[in-house]
Amino acid sequence: MINKDNKQYGVRWYLHLYKMILLQDLKSKMSYRADFIISSIGMILTNLSGFVAFWIIFQNFSSINGWTFHEMLFMYGFSLLALTPVQCFFDNNWNLRQNVYSGDFIKYCFRPINIFFYYISEVFDIKGLGQFAFGFATIGYAWYQLQIPISLGIILLLIVELIFASLFMIAIMNLAAATNFWLMGSTFIMIFTFNFKDYARYPITIFGPVFRFVFTFFIPIAFLAYYPCIPFLRAEEIPALTYCLPVFGVLFFYLSYKVWMKGAAGYSGTGS
Amino acid sequence: MICKNKFPRLRYLGLTRGSMMQSLAFRMSTLVTILGNVVYLIIIYYLWKAIYASSPVASVNGMTFSDTMIYLVLASALFNFMNCFIIWGMGRDFQSGQFVLYLLKPMDYQVFWFFSTSGQYIISFFTTFLPTFVIVYIITKGSFALGVNLIVFIISVCISVMINFFIDFFVGTICLYTQSIWGVNIMKEVVVALLSGATIPLAFFPDKLHAFANLLPFQAIYNAPLQILIDRSLDGKDYLTMLGKQFFWVIVMLVISRCFWNLSKRVITVNGG
Amino acid sequence: MSDSIIKVEHITKEFKILNHREGVKGMVRDLFSRDYHMLTAVNDVCMEIKQGEIVGYLGPNGSGKSTTIKMMTGVLEPTSGTIMVNGRIPYKNRAKNAEEIGVVFGQRTQLWWALPAMESFKILKEIYRIPNKDFKDNLEYFDALIGAGELYGKTVRQMSLGQRILCDILASFLHNPGVVFLDEPTIGLDVSIKSKIRELIKELNKEKGTTVILTTHDMGDVDALCKRIIIIDKGSILYDNTIENLRSYFGAYRTIKLSFQKNSAGLAAQDTYEVEKLLHTAFPNAKSLNVRGDEDWTEILLNEDEITMMQVLNIIQEKKNITDMMLQEISTESVIKKIYEGGVQ
Repeated sequence: MINKDNKQYGVRWYLHLYKMILLQDLKSKMSYRADFIISSIGMILTNLSGFVAFWIIFQNFSSINGWTFHEMLFMYGFSLLALTPVQCFFDNNWNLRQNVYSGDFIKYCFRPINIFFYYISEVFDIKGLGQFAFGFATIGYAWYQLQIPISLGIILLLIVELIFASLFMIAIMNLAAATNFWLMGSTFIMIFTFNFKDYARYPITIFGPVFRFVFTFFIPIAFLAYYPCIPFLRAEEIPALTYCLPVFGVLFFYLSYKVWMKGAAGYSGTGS
Repeated sequence: MICKNKFPRLRYLGLTRGSMMQSLAFRMSTLVTILGNVVYLIIIYYLWKAIYASSPVASVNGMTFSDTMIYLVLASALFNFMNCFIIWGMGRDFQSGQFVLYLLKPMDYQVFWFFSTSGQYIISFFTTFLPTFVIVYIITKGSFALGVNLIVFIISVCISVMINFFIDFFVGTICLYTQSIWGVNIMKEVVVALLSGATIPLAFFPDKLHAFANLLPFQAIYNAPLQILIDRSLDGKDYLTMLGKQFFWVIVMLVISRCFWNLSKRVITVNGG
Repeated sequence: MSDSIIKVEHITKEFKILNHREGVKGMVRDLFSRDYHMLTAVNDVCMEIKQGEIVGYLGPNGSGKSTTIKMMTGVLEPTSGTIMVNGRIPYKNRAKNAEEIGVVFGQRTQLWWALPAMESFKILKEIYRIPNKDFKDNLEYFDALIGAGELYGKTVRQMSLGQRILCDILASFLHNPGVVFLDEPTIGLDVSIKSKIRELIKELNKEKGTTVILTTHDMGDVDALCKRIIIIDKGSILYDNTIENLRSYFGAYRTIKLSFQKNSAGLAAQDTYEVEKLLHTAFPNAKSLNVRGDEDWTEILLNEDEITMMQVLNIIQEKKNITDMMLQEISTESVIKKIYEGGVQ
């Protein structure tokens, strides 16, 4: 037998491995340039239509629930940025149904590394970068129009908040994808939950109390843009929930990870 | 007993029955899809309520809050009714090479898809559009007339379905040239939804944009039948004009989609796919 | 003393299977109440495999073969009983167990489609934390063994099926595991590649002492590689012993291959049919008699304990003109078939 040096399976090791596995997906996709262009255009058009929709509304009205055009754009841009990680890094969840059904998923169970990590690292979605660019431009434009001050502290706050906010959609999609382990084909569930990302751009103050609760604690899209944006837009009255962002984010992600792993552990492939 | 030999087109109805059964089989998926639509409606209710709350007048560009809600709810019902995923179906056929088998069969590919989805249209009309329509009517205590406009509406919707189908088929044919079905599909969905008035009623569009949208076939799919249904100010002449415009677009899209398909077929047989 | 590297003790696996009701009405009823029945896929199976063995694991589809393999590789948990692989319980320590086994599926690759084989190996080196020296040594050894070097730069997409399976097998031995599970490694391959793969497996087993569990439907694999075979059917072990022993049960069996004078029509099938009729009429009680044929030969399987070769030849000679004859031991395939059909004492 081999003499293995007893290195720990540390974070650094996993990061190195992640990079290796991810690169292979990029290499294979790079050869399909037309698809990259079409997907990116599609992504930008989607984001653009959201922008245009707001623009049209504000041609006729002066505010939504007290929020101005540029404030809405800020939240919209923020939500796009917060949605980029789930789009780019967790895209393989969409293939889960196919892999589970065909039995291909089993090959992820034979390696001595974490199954979730291995599965997720296989795919990187390039068109998510289009969303990132558009979101960045939108929030930049809104930032400028709103004349929010720029300082190292504020930029740091933005980045930190974006990271924790992104965890919520990742967790939602993990949970939705995990249902594939128990149901025969639950893409419709994933589509259902994925559509909620489009609602994250609206401030939850427009909702009655019931839905405010639903969108905060049940399908927590309020944490994707609304709560994180308050410190920038309404710094005088930051609700307590905004401070809960990091803790809730990590907890929710961990919960979704556990559920996903439970499904994977119970998977035994197709056939006899 | 209808003799299938005497009326050979009737064999297509077998596809209708098949697709109806498949539709029913997606029980849970249908429930969840309906739930998703309900969530969407809830969101836009609150959204537009908040939007109108900021306006000093009740009627903006000729639409009150309830006008807008009725319009958007019915538009969403129409959208769900007509959403038939043929772009995905065609895309998958092309990627797997399956569609070559269809080319070998004595059925026209476009007609095949139309009848394959026809069962879905029938079911979804009764499961999505009709209930929504009834509920809206009850809740708004009959804010639109139920007379001749209903009949004209039905005709208009039938034409809309066909325009939508041809557009979808055209877009689906694009999938022959690319692997990215998602990109192609989302581009069509987003553009159609916005420029047809389904996301935001055309009444709110600034003049230039409104004029641009009127040049496109998309508003003929959603805006035309909805106007016929809820706009009391329209008379017989208006109905005929609108139907005429729709009819114009059906022919145009039929021609475009068939030409593109025939062209693409030739490209394939020459290049071997 | 070589200890058992795999110990399977009284394992049973039961599954809950949904009964789907028919028709549209049935689908609606399925919505409200779900009907199950229990399926016993594996029933009280025991086996012990020693280090360095190459064991052929055979069984028809639905026999419980894949289920046992899944339990041994840690993917499935048995309903009852224990399994030990490399001194570990596989399904309790999936990741640790995975470090010391290799798995190859004939039908799906575990390599990365768009990468050259070498890049895939490098990723595996990382995943299994193979020391640099061992990695290099193995690659050189593979090259020396079957000239694998020319495949290292090819992407999996560009490889033929045989080349891809070769690389999958090499990948499974790369980290020097104690046990390698090969699931139908020669399926769909032509004869020359098949023999190359069999050579490869034989050499790797000899050189590294790796235990190999080979599931296959191909008797050529079994004949070439396995000294011991285990046969499973309907969830139970039918046979667990050496091939020699198996043949000895059927020692009295013989296969006679005959070819006949081609008449002007040249219909070989006709010959086979006639021979079959002749023999069954002449020996109605010979249960072991089996006749089949192809374009060139008519093959007759018989049990010398029931009827002798001479008796058969005499009958045939009376009516037909034999031009050529071959005598063979019973093929392994026929033996296995007999076991599926009737079992062994």
